[in-house]
Amino acid sequence: MTTVAEAAERPAQAIPPRPRTWPRTARIVAVLAVLTAATATPALGGVEIDLGAIADNWTNGADRIGQMLVPDLSVLPRTWQPLLETLQMAVVGAAISAVLAVPLSLWAARPTNPNAPVRAAVRFVLNVIRAVPDLVYATVLVAMVGVGTLPGVITLVLFDIGIVVKLVSEAIDSADSSYMEAGRAAGGTQTQINRLTALPQTWPALASQVLYSLELNVRISAILGLVGAGGIGRLIDEMRGFYRYDALSTIILEILIVVILIELASNVLRKRLR
Amino acid sequence: MSDLSTRPEAGGTTPSASGPWPIELDEVTVRYPNGVTALKGVSLRIEAGEMVAIVGLSGSGKSTMIRTINGLVPPTSGRVAVGPHAVSELRGRALREARGDIGMIFQGFNLADRASVFHNALVGRFSHMPTWRTMLGLASDVDRDMVMRSLDSVGMLEKVWHRAGALSGGQKQRVAIARALSQEPAVMLADEPVASLDPPTAHSVMADLASINASRGLTVLVNLHLMDLARQYTTRMIGLRAGEVVYDGPAASATDADFEAIYGRPVQSRDRLGE
Repeated sequence: MTTVAEAAERPAQAIPPRPRTWPRTARIVAVLAVLTAATATPALGGVEIDLGAIADNWTNGADRIGQMLVPDLSVLPRTWQPLLETLQMAVVGAAISAVLAVPLSLWAARPTNPNAPVRAAVRFVLNVIRAVPDLVYATVLVAMVGVGTLPGVITLVLFDIGIVVKLVSEAIDSADSSYMEAGRAAGGTQTQINRLTALPQTWPALASQVLYSLELNVRISAILGLVGAGGIGRLIDEMRGFYRYDALSTIILEILIVVILIELASNVLRKRLR
Repeated sequence: MSDLSTRPEAGGTTPSASGPWPIELDEVTVRYPNGVTALKGVSLRIEAGEMVAIVGLSGSGKSTMIRTINGLVPPTSGRVAVGPHAVSELRGRALREARGDIGMIFQGFNLADRASVFHNALVGRFSHMPTWRTMLGLASDVDRDMVMRSLDSVGMLEKVWHRAGALSGGQKQRVAIARALSQEPAVMLADEPVASLDPPTAHSVMADLASINASRGLTVLVNLHLMDLARQYTTRMIGLRAGEVVYDGPAASATDADFEAIYGRPVQSRDRLGE
């Protein structure tokens, strides 16, 4: 082992030549370029991208965009009720999923659930929940429980559990869990250790992800109305049906404002949680 | 700041309700799944109420040895007994009950930083609490009282509602000691308890451990790599090198040559903490 003092006594060495990295970079870029070209070439089984269609059809859309640039604010009074409904769905969905996500996150993370088969089973179920698109949940649930906010809320709960549990359990996996050894050394069961120590350690991650899911819920519930699952989406569908693109842009602006407000509020909350 | 007034006499003084317990290791071998053999046929007996230092360099097996005593590391072969518990034969509930009688403190404190000092110390009541009570977050009066008295005995009562993460290193180790004392243990294990602390704090934590041994009569086993701490605070020293006992004798009279045999190299300045 050489000490710092020894190194200082040696004559200054020539700086080793910097390794050339550009051939590797060039190879990576080339591979990416070939892959991109291949996926866009129908002859090779890629997707068909007809850029000519843009030139042929863009005027159709331009009219609508033109209409949207002049929002029709007269629709506003009609939006309050469905917008409030959307917000209620978003909050209720996020709240229910938060409660369910607490035990599920602890069961899905390695430090809080050393039982590998149970952990794998929980993770598998969550993967299935995440794999089903939200519109499929909404469509099936509307058929099962009828048109209204209930299928919408259930859809949001399933969607939120999928993301919150994944992100929170990954946060638990990567966090320091040395305090668990103390709980085990004191003769605690895993349940006791989780309740008294892992839970307070997990609150910030959980709260942060639940706030994020609240924000996503507002965006998603705009879509859910298209299949009859309540909220502002119903109004969007109606306006689109009547080609009222000027009214549509008003609704989109409203959603944008709500999402920004929720983001600002959740940023404030996140800061206080640390 | 050596606290010689609390230097223990071998055998302890006032035994606790259950009395201090002896610890017995019989031909204990620990081989990890990665092929490393951490302990090679270690046999030793520690009498009830003794204050013992286990000295060795990192990798000598002392961390493994202290973890075999409360079953955190199961021996590959051999037998471990602590008082009435045949730790190496226990599983599940019986093992948790045995661990409840054995307190342990760690080099890294192992506190839940976001939980309060009270809840961290309440961890020591796990083996005395039914799980439903923990789930509801309801500590019984007995548990609460025990935690408060333990925190008081290490001078941390005024911080009881503070977050553990907001404390200094020395305060964290005191809370960890209170957590172990809340168990009402018969044996106290300490794995390099002062290696993360500055010298004055290290001395005061060692003095705390010595006074626990003297006043409560607990059997105390402490892993150390510093020779002066072993000499000053413990009565008996066990030297470990490459998983084998290479020294077993009084700590105060252990010579530098004895330490060189344990370390397997000449004594260096970093083997002493100083004041």
